[in-house]
Amino acid sequence: MAGSDPEKLIAKADKLTKLSLTRWSADWKSATVLYEQAGNGFRLAKNCEKAKIAFEKASKGQEMLSSPWDAAKHMESAASLAKELGNWNEVADFYRRASELYNECGRSQPASDALTKGARVLEDAAPDEAIQLYTDACAILEEDGKEQMAFDLYRAATSVYIKLEKYTDAATFLLRWGLAADKCNATYSQCKAYLSAIIVYLYAHDFKQAEKCYNDCSQIVTFFSSDQNRCASKLLAGYTEGDVEEIKRVAQSSTVSNLDHVIIRLARKLPTGDVSAMKSDAANGQETLDEDDLT
Amino acid sequence: MSVIDVLFRVDSICKKYEKYDFDKQRELNASADDAFSRLYAAVESDIDAALHKSTMASMEKNRASVVAMNAEIRRTKARLMEEVLKLQKLALKKVKGLSKEELATRSDLVLALPERIKAIPDGTATAAKQTGGWGASASNGKIKFDSDGHFDSEFFQQTGESSQFREEYEMRKMKQDQGLDIISEGLDTLKNLAHDMNEELDRQVPLIDEIDTKVDKATADLKRTNVRLKETVTKIRSSQNFCIDIILLCIILGIASYLYNILK
Repeated sequence: MAGSDPEKLIAKADKLTKLSLTRWSADWKSATVLYEQAGNGFRLAKNCEKAKIAFEKASKGQEMLSSPWDAAKHMESAASLAKELGNWNEVADFYRRASELYNECGRSQPASDALTKGARVLEDAAPDEAIQLYTDACAILEEDGKEQMAFDLYRAATSVYIKLEKYTDAATFLLRWGLAADKCNATYSQCKAYLSAIIVYLYAHDFKQAEKCYNDCSQIVTFFSSDQNRCASKLLAGYTEGDVEEIKRVAQSSTVSNLDHVIIRLARKLPTGDVSAMKSDAANGQETLDEDDLT
Repeated sequence: MSVIDVLFRVDSICKKYEKYDFDKQRELNASADDAFSRLYAAVESDIDAALHKSTMASMEKNRASVVAMNAEIRRTKARLMEEVLKLQKLALKKVKGLSKEELATRSDLVLALPERIKAIPDGTATAAKQTGGWGASASNGKIKFDSDGHFDSEFFQQTGESSQFREEYEMRKMKQDQGLDIISEGLDTLKNLAHDMNEELDRQVPLIDEIDTKVDKATADLKRTNVRLKETVTKIRSSQNFCIDIILLCIILGIASYLYNILK
């Protein structure tokens, strides 16, 4: 049977599953076996379209046989074939379905892995969809209390955001990363995440946000007593004084060089825009503060 | 015995029997009511004592006692200089029974005193010899701040050697700073690596715990399977089957030997 034509196998399997007058209930067991074989055959023959369809049907069969694990595995195979074909929508759908099936098994790690695979595939083609997948994957892991595993996902998502030049979103995501790190007591990653967020805000010319972010983060004890905090304060001081040399020096320092390479690239490009404009802004801000103090 | 020996002996005998020397005593008594002469005599005896002490110090081997003695000598000299001032005042006072020439000589004597006091060696003179290049003014034991010109000249003389030393010192300090910077960068990298490794290991701890439980289950399964296999094998190899095996083996050997004999 293994050597027969995959087409024939598919036809046979279809016949087994289609309900008709002679057949009152579909024979999913043998049909699934046939579908799997057909799928493998098509894959060897490099017929991606047919193979994909075969795997889809095999997955459905496994579902009927109430083994979501195998169903999910078939879905993943179908998705990888769809990727070869370039059907990005289908890719996303298939991976999502696979992830749901894994969740049914109660295994969160493979579920988020499936979403991650999909996101990685879609990074270039459909980045927004990729970000969505990354976010969902992180959510799944966090629900299950496995935040440590999510760090790589946060990093990947941040790099996609920065590639898309959505800096506020990137910074927000970095702050979420800091929160996840806090939950699992990964203090070093947390401090690095906060410093990265501040750098991203500064890169986007958003000095006020950067300052606000810095003030918020300083409330956190672990960040306050870390090297990264000192580095951030030096950076912000450089900005308030409009000292370009100082900013460049801080960006070259070893604390910044230990961050993620995407962030390092941003930091090396600092200061962007007009530092003196920020300086005057900061000075104005301080004056209003004094008035408030008097009243 | 030479003349010199005689002189020395005479001197020592006179000193020994001084109290019987009427002339000298009269002289001392005479100056008892003259404040100037009294003070002058006291200063002179102090100077003699200080000179004696300085000779003792120069012969002394123990450096600590040398230092102590020199300090005492210096203190005595300072006190004596103050007394000299008093003497100067007294010298101008007119005392009865004193001629005009004697008054003049008294003031001369008083003027001569400071030089005599300063001439007492008190250790700074020897120190001047040890540190090369010091000028003559170093023999003055007092500390001088913002002093006159020749302090500057000897300072200048010193920087001939010490400026080179200072340059070398600065160079070495700069090199040390550079080295320390490199070390600090290396340490920063190490710290970063160590932190990341720490977090990675924390991440892997629960995974390894899971692996541990799964592997425990697998070993238990394996043990059970092995036991069952052993039972099955022993059942197969029971004594009955064993005898049958031996008999059949003998038959085969018999057939083989028969064929061998035929072919031979």
